[in-house]
Amino acid sequence: MKSTKHAVRLFAGVAMTALSISAAAQAEEKKTVAYLAPSLDISYWQWVGYGVKEKAKELGMDYVEYTSENSPAKQMDNARTAVTKGVDAIVIGPVSSTSTPPLLAYLKSQNVPIAFAGIGPQPGQTDYTSSVTANNYETGKAQGEFVCKLAKDRGGNQVGMLSLPQDRENAQKYLKGAEEAFKASGCDLAQMLETRGLTVNEAVTQANDMLTAHPDIKAIYGMYDEAGTGAAKVLQTRGLTGKVGIAVADGSPTTISLLKSNAIQGIFFQEAVGQGIDGTQQVFNAISGAPVKKDLALVMPLVTADKVESPEARAVIARVFPPAN
Amino acid sequence: MTGTRARIAPTEAPPTQIRQRESLFSAYRTEIAIALAIALLALAVGSQVPQALTWGNFANITQAGAPLIIMSLGVLLVVITGGIDLSVGSVFSLTGMVTAQAMANGFGGIAASLIGLGAGLLFGSINGFLVTIAGLAPFVVTLITFAVAGSLAFIVTNGRSMPIGDPDFWLLNSGSLIPGVPNYILFCLVLMIAIEFFLKKMVAGRWFYAVGSSSMAAYLLGIPVKRTKFMAYVASSLLASFSGLLTISYILNAESTAGSSLMLQAIAAVVIGGASLLGGTGTAVGAVLGALMITVIQNGVNLIGINSFWQGSVTGVAILIAVLIDRFSKSRRGAV
Repeated sequence: MKSTKHAVRLFAGVAMTALSISAAAQAEEKKTVAYLAPSLDISYWQWVGYGVKEKAKELGMDYVEYTSENSPAKQMDNARTAVTKGVDAIVIGPVSSTSTPPLLAYLKSQNVPIAFAGIGPQPGQTDYTSSVTANNYETGKAQGEFVCKLAKDRGGNQVGMLSLPQDRENAQKYLKGAEEAFKASGCDLAQMLETRGLTVNEAVTQANDMLTAHPDIKAIYGMYDEAGTGAAKVLQTRGLTGKVGIAVADGSPTTISLLKSNAIQGIFFQEAVGQGIDGTQQVFNAISGAPVKKDLALVMPLVTADKVESPEARAVIARVFPPAN
Repeated sequence: MTGTRARIAPTEAPPTQIRQRESLFSAYRTEIAIALAIALLALAVGSQVPQALTWGNFANITQAGAPLIIMSLGVLLVVITGGIDLSVGSVFSLTGMVTAQAMANGFGGIAASLIGLGAGLLFGSINGFLVTIAGLAPFVVTLITFAVAGSLAFIVTNGRSMPIGDPDFWLLNSGSLIPGVPNYILFCLVLMIAIEFFLKKMVAGRWFYAVGSSSMAAYLLGIPVKRTKFMAYVASSLLASFSGLLTISYILNAESTAGSSLMLQAIAAVVIGGASLLGGTGTAVGAVLGALMITVIQNGVNLIGINSFWQGSVTGVAILIAVLIDRFSKSRRGAV
């Protein structure tokens, strides 16, 4: 009886040890990627996260998510927590470009690869694995050309702009590119108004005020999604849908439905999901020793109302937001 | 002399009427000053951008200002009782999200609106309960509900903006119950008159001022202090909710952050309108004019093309001037 008990104990001990070794081996094989979002109350950052998560699943990686609540300090805390928990790589949408130098120094000291998505590191920084962002300057030029064409097609050359806050680097590049394109194409930027709240309601007020002050405006460039939605609403109220053109950057289910109904004439899509996918691929390459592309500046593809149902447009939209939207 | 009197008398108003006019002028001295300031502001903007003085721009201003006006009327009731309501912006957003989500789940516009208003009623009741029964400070209570309602506004749709499903929902804001008068203007006017009448002419309305002037004195006079404060918080949240409904009816889209900037603007409007944050003073007419002044400033900044980041500074200066004028006129009246 005593020897049977002893044998059972011995068997249990051996089994537990075997299970522990197996679990440890599995944990060692399976890598983890952490996604650090600046805030998850903006759909864009949720969509980047979706891209990271889906790509991680495809590559056999675990996925964890942290939100920095728009605080550089919290962002740093999250990075330390992630490293302490043993993540192998980080994909980050930073709170701002200027918040990144201490973060990069810390991750370099810990040998953790990091890819940027959406917003890049501060200019001059090199200690990162990859930066996947939109090419805002070139996209701004393309947007400027398109908006000017919309105005000219409608018998004018005055355009208006509903801008992101100009303290953002991407907004400055959009504006620079667009202004150059307006000049080259013979259009005048009658007025530019900057948002503070990034809400549709604010955009409605601004578009209304802009068209009151400059009734000759024939096309509006919305630098963010809510701007396009607000401008479309104003044109509908004023009976100007189609008579004043609208082009918008980013893209969402709301603006796509407006594009389909021809209330908006073109969307320059920012590939949020695609940036998450590409960023994850680059950090995976870094930890598996494969070649890495350091700077990926994606030009935002234009989809016009007449081509929104085409297979090419569907492929673009699949890289913008998750299918559930 | 007698003959002269006889010639003048028919053209002059009787002394009672003159006294009534004087007392009306005296009672609404601050409001008249704000109305004049708004007119001056509009003329100043109009001198730069002539379109500012068109009917079209008047419509822009009233439409843009309607949600703030309605929210300010609710905040006024709380401020008169000596309290503060920081939760109105979050309740505004939450109402929009809940209503839009209810429509997405198959509810009609009216049922979904009632569900949205239910969110306002719930948060107003929580505020009122915690302030009156639990005895917590209004600032702390409404800071908590500001955070909770703001968080729920994101949770309802996971942070996504929601289109409005009911195709007739725009009628709430832009329809006309009275031909020629858009509903948003009608609602503002009816609410302003009703609240002004309630505060000035009804006993329960006078209790608000008494409670705000001195809760203890009001209590000793037999005024139901707790009930009055409770009603103020419920009314404030309900009006914030209604304001949220009006906004989503206008833009046909609900956003989790839609009301984030409105709370401070509503408090500013009430202060510009002559109410004291210490309680006991304020009028509905003043709150409406305060909200209109903020909207006219925002409109003017946009029309002239000044960087919109300056709006906060300009509004701050307007509040400072309003408070200084109020303080100056009170000290002069005190001296007399």
